[in-house]
Amino acid sequence: MKNNVFEKIRMLREAAQKTGDLGMPMGLRLFLLLTVLVLTIILGVIAILFINGTFTAGLSESKTIVESELQHASQGISKQYEYLSIHTINLSEELSRSIEKNANNMGISLSNLQDHPERLEELISREFDRILVCLQKSQSSGAFFILDATVNPALEKAKYSRAGLYIKNMEPNIVSSSTPNYIVLRGSPAISRNHKLSLHTQWSMEFDISDAPYYYRPIEAAESDKQLKLSRLYYWCPALKIPNTSEEVMLCSVPLIDSRGNVFGVCGLEVSAMLFKLSNMPNNCIYTRIFYTLSPIDKDLIKLDQSMFAGCYSARILSRDQTLNFSENKYSFYSYTEKNHCRFLGIHKPVRLYPEGSAFADEQWVVAVMVPEEDVVTSITRLNLLLIGSLMLLFVLGVAVSFVLSQRFLKPITEGLDMIKSNDLNAASKTKIPEIDGLIEYLALHNQELYEKARQENISLVILDEFLENTRKLSPAERSVFDLYLKGHTAKEISETLCLSINTIKTHSKRIYTKLNVASREELLLYHSLLKEIGKEIE
Amino acid sequence: MTSMKRFIMLLALILLPILPGCGIGFEAGSSQPVTLTLWHNYGGQLKDTMDEMIDEFNETVGKKEGIIVSVTSISGSATLHEKLTMAAHGDPGAPSLPDITTVYPKTALILAEKGLLADLDEQFTRKELSAYIPQFIEEGRLADGGLYVFPIAKSTEVLFVNKTLFDRFSRDTGARIEDLQSFEGIIRTASLYYEWTDRQTPDIPNDGKMFYMPDSIFNLFLVGCRQLGAEFTADGQLNLNTPQHKKVWDFYFTPAVMGQVAVFDGYATDLAKTGDIVCSTGSTAGVSFFSPTVTYADNTSEPIELAILPYPVFEGGKKVAIQRGAGMSVIKSTREKEHLAGIFLKWFTSPENNMRFVSSTGYFPVTVEAFGERMSKEMEKITDPAVKNLLRVSRIMQKDYEFCIPPLFEGVDELEEQYKAQIMDAASRTRDAYVEFSRSMDSVTAYENASRGVYEDFILRFP
Repeated sequence: MKNNVFEKIRMLREAAQKTGDLGMPMGLRLFLLLTVLVLTIILGVIAILFINGTFTAGLSESKTIVESELQHASQGISKQYEYLSIHTINLSEELSRSIEKNANNMGISLSNLQDHPERLEELISREFDRILVCLQKSQSSGAFFILDATVNPALEKAKYSRAGLYIKNMEPNIVSSSTPNYIVLRGSPAISRNHKLSLHTQWSMEFDISDAPYYYRPIEAAESDKQLKLSRLYYWCPALKIPNTSEEVMLCSVPLIDSRGNVFGVCGLEVSAMLFKLSNMPNNCIYTRIFYTLSPIDKDLIKLDQSMFAGCYSARILSRDQTLNFSENKYSFYSYTEKNHCRFLGIHKPVRLYPEGSAFADEQWVVAVMVPEEDVVTSITRLNLLLIGSLMLLFVLGVAVSFVLSQRFLKPITEGLDMIKSNDLNAASKTKIPEIDGLIEYLALHNQELYEKARQENISLVILDEFLENTRKLSPAERSVFDLYLKGHTAKEISETLCLSINTIKTHSKRIYTKLNVASREELLLYHSLLKEIGKEIE
Repeated sequence: MTSMKRFIMLLALILLPILPGCGIGFEAGSSQPVTLTLWHNYGGQLKDTMDEMIDEFNETVGKKEGIIVSVTSISGSATLHEKLTMAAHGDPGAPSLPDITTVYPKTALILAEKGLLADLDEQFTRKELSAYIPQFIEEGRLADGGLYVFPIAKSTEVLFVNKTLFDRFSRDTGARIEDLQSFEGIIRTASLYYEWTDRQTPDIPNDGKMFYMPDSIFNLFLVGCRQLGAEFTADGQLNLNTPQHKKVWDFYFTPAVMGQVAVFDGYATDLAKTGDIVCSTGSTAGVSFFSPTVTYADNTSEPIELAILPYPVFEGGKKVAIQRGAGMSVIKSTREKEHLAGIFLKWFTSPENNMRFVSSTGYFPVTVEAFGERMSKEMEKITDPAVKNLLRVSRIMQKDYEFCIPPLFEGVDELEEQYKAQIMDAASRTRDAYVEFSRSMDSVTAYENASRGVYEDFILRFP
């Protein structure tokens, strides 16, 4: 068994040796040549793709898409928040006037509102329609106002309890509905029942302002600078969950100020997490998990727990984390990292929620568009794999084509050679390659000539052999004359040389001619020269 | 055509689609997840449970299967019904339909008639369906036998009692909570409560408080008639000319006119939040809508204990209660989306997740496994005493009660609304007349005068 293997190896080696000795077959040479050509072209294409940045084009295109999304998001959000800010300011102006007027009619001074807790429900109830109209016009998800007073100041919780009204529209995105879904989140149940509105599942009668920046901050701003207009006093409270509810909202609030400059509460509009999500859905379908955030920033930190999210990606998972660090990276995307672990790529830009001169102008907000890092990487890798796969396929196809072409190219040549090797070139079929067909024709003609010549040469040799044989039949006297003829002498010169009469010479000549079967001295000399050509000497 | 030409053409065909790839066609591939939009009606505390479960799905099975479930609407069941029917009819301003939605059979009927629902038989094998309680699956089959509403959780109705308030009342009057097991007992107790509360303010006559409110008047009549041995609906119409219907009417109408039963176009929980009623019949799913505190008009509040009793039964009647609950329907779209929606439904209703959902919401599970032994075990782990109590009562009812499902025929939705509106209108107007008559006569005479002919008029409104 082992010997057999060695024997086979030896035979293969010998075959290879033999092949090497013989040189590389023409077909293989041609195939390798074409393959090298294909490989060179493919490498050239790769070099060009590399130089013009095709392999990183996915990233550029991603950035273009995300930039476009950012532009779209930024414009939409700015417009929405500006619109709501204006409505909140208008609401404040109208409410301030109306409440002051009603309070005056009741004989109540707004600076001493807390002295009349029994009149609060009536005072609030009269503003129900105004709040509802504002809610409808602004297309926000909630409208509210809070008075700086509570219905029961004797309660322990009175310090942080404020009366007011908060109506929510649970379906702000439905343009027309026969049964608008308004419910009361905060306010007297009597007011909601009078207007046939349900109470929110997590309803409370009054607002808890123990941790309510939407209440304190605009009031503080208004009291610290009495000259500021309402348009410089509205405040966008970062996203929060209203205490003891599941309502995730952003609130825009403006102080309520009477004609004497007395701040007696706030009013505002709400953007619920659902409203923000539905009114700012990302446009593109390239990255399914793309999402927008509207976030307050602090240096290089995005405060996710105070952000609003829009997009199909479950942004709630994000909001559990408190902050995301951001930094520019080599890909020109920002990296948004959480505990040094890059989770998202994207970009952001500042968005102005406040005009110049606003009490809150220092607060920085950004609109960010983010995509999970893995989605971007997967997408670009996939694109490059597609490119490389295409090039590989092209190469394989090129090699296959080289093989086929080399085979097809060599086939007529091989056939031609086989024909040339065959005996009957005249019977050979046409290869349809002019050069080879011409060669075959030429070779056929040449072969014919050679044959004819050979045949002729065969005949001449027999005659010359006879001529040579006949020379041996000459008598000595005739031989003497014959030799002199071979030396080029004429009959006259021979008669003089041999001292014989010319007639004698003529007689010898006749006999010589007869014996040698020639007709003349010239023919005799021709035989002689022919014999010399074939290397034979007359003895 | 020579073989060489054929070869070149073939080569060109192969290369043409590839070569534009060098032109950087940038697009996402199948590796990108598919977003399934979801509408549901689980608000309030139920929203948190839904959010948590959907987040978990997206991070686990969804991530693996390439699915993102995105909630795009959380509405009350009435609003959800309206939104879905608006979208089904293509009304102006209607939102686009989601991929999955919670839906009651009456809404599903409208959507299915429009050919908008996917048949879920295609997404579940027989073996998979056998894991669910057969009756619940059958309820999801509509006219053509297709499974259009997939059961996710079921509910029945029970009696919710503000035990803190009742105990206070009981201490003074000797009223017994056991009396609330029958509707007649509720009327008697309501009358007692009215008198007791009226006595609290001697200077104001006839200002007694309401005691009871049925969350769904239609269900009260449906179940009440069935308990008494009659059908409330027959042949796609209301069947009102029965003594049983009159008996249920008397149970509701008389104390409503007397101010003992609430006539309120809203949820009973609204009145319960402010202590304006003591008890109400309503869906088990409503347990999370009961506030643990009651807030009174002066903004004082007190924590309350919520007692849950089985659904009351008319004396001499059968123990019957309603069984209802929204299922989930998949809106017809692409085969891929329908398949992925099926994956979500399987995950959501797996015994483990189904039990998790019901144990925090007050619903019944829908799988055989979750309904049986697992439910008993899980009940021990539940920390919310109200939900724990609710599931305990529900299990008792499962053993002792016969369940009926709401009627399902074309127009039942409008008929239900009409019935509710008419009876409330009749009760309100009669109540106003009764209050007016009461100023000059005793309450019995005032009631007789105020209610004369009202029932007969009411019946005539439903030919």
